[in-house]
Amino acid sequence: MKATKIFDKGHQWIMFGRDPEKPENIIDTNQYMIVAGDRALLMDPGGIEVFAPMLGAILHHVKVDEITDIFASHQDPDIISSLGLWDQALPHAKLHSPWLWEGFLRHFGMNNIQYAAIPDEGSELTLGELDIRFIPAHYLHSSGNFHVYDPKAKILMSGDVGAALEACEAPLYVEDFDEHIPKMEMFHKRWMPSNRAKNDWVNRVRDLDIEYMAPQHGRIFKGENVKRFLDWFEALEVGVAIP
Amino acid sequence: MTSSAEPVEDKLVALASIAAELHSVMGVVWNVSLAGKNAKVISAQAGDKGRGFRPITESIDEISQQAIRGVDEISSEALRLSKISVHEQRSIDAYQRFNSVVKKDADAKYIKTISPAVKKVEDKMRTSMSEFKKSMNHLTLLLETMDQCMLSARAVASVSRIVTSSGQEYRDKLTVVSNDLDKAASYIKQRLSNSYRHLNNVNALRQKGI
Repeated sequence: MKATKIFDKGHQWIMFGRDPEKPENIIDTNQYMIVAGDRALLMDPGGIEVFAPMLGAILHHVKVDEITDIFASHQDPDIISSLGLWDQALPHAKLHSPWLWEGFLRHFGMNNIQYAAIPDEGSELTLGELDIRFIPAHYLHSSGNFHVYDPKAKILMSGDVGAALEACEAPLYVEDFDEHIPKMEMFHKRWMPSNRAKNDWVNRVRDLDIEYMAPQHGRIFKGENVKRFLDWFEALEVGVAIP
Repeated sequence: MTSSAEPVEDKLVALASIAAELHSVMGVVWNVSLAGKNAKVISAQAGDKGRGFRPITESIDEISQQAIRGVDEISSEALRLSKISVHEQRSIDAYQRFNSVVKKDADAKYIKTISPAVKKVEDKMRTSMSEFKKSMNHLTLLLETMDQCMLSARAVASVSRIVTSSGQEYRDKLTVVSNDLDKAASYIKQRLSNSYRHLNNVNALRQKGI
């Protein structure tokens, strides 16, 4: 599991992914962690199969009991099916996730971790001296869905929005936006079910000051490519890729 | 870890099969119970002439009640064992995954901070393995007791045929009851034998360390 610091000024953002040892038949995922002081937030920690490499990679950066919070953008297995294992590794942590999915997520096994339900309108979390926001992204693609925005680092962790399905060797950042479009077009047309929800999200996100948009699959958008993505996504007809 | 997925599924399937075998037995056991009640009625109807049959009809009724209780207990224990097995499997899987972190990332700066969690996971695994063993032993004992009960049922059926041969008036009715009892006991014995086979499969898989 490769770990890359994508921000390191006062607090850190670390991206985990591009795992060369990942089983071939599971989708590649990006996991993220914010480290602020002696606390860390683990975001979309991944499926059961990536638990061990993730935990191993994390222990190069923080002590296990410094991971005080976990965030799951929605209920999918590639996002959080490792919950039953994290529950044993981090018994004192809090899981921040949409209120809608609490009863469902508990099926992954959750006896110790505390569920901190995020209301539909979103909420905030303070990590040391850092305030981060859980931004509503409902129906993108899950009916209860949030993204994480860090106003200091100007990073939006955008879950499945901006995702591209590509090989583990793919570069970390989008270099040529136009060239990247074919890698993400089908995904967004098929997975995102609602134009109304999409446009609502685009309007909400345009109000944020974003330098990096970090999706859960594929490459990170940086600088001007964030605006290009929002323009492209706004114009895209979604929920239409029916064979 | 993926390589162990198939045999483990076999273990869970074997345990589920025991529950299925016993489910099919329950209906038959109820029929035995009905046969026991019938035998008592026939014996009562026979009045003084049926006096000789009464110990037999009492035995049939007693065996059938014992069989109902036995199947009930075995079903509960099989279900419990099945649940423990899933729990055990999850704890073994967790232990293997935690352990792989300890081995592969031994050079991680904060690797030692995971030790208390690994210890807890290991303790949990050992506890569930021990619970599994206890439940397996209990289930084996229950199956043995039930097997003995069915042996007794078949013996009572044989004796009742001899006894009924001397009572002309109710002979046919009690012969039917005895035959039903014998058939049911033989059917149940077969199911118990299948359950033993499934249990042995589970044991064999465990001895192989899966």
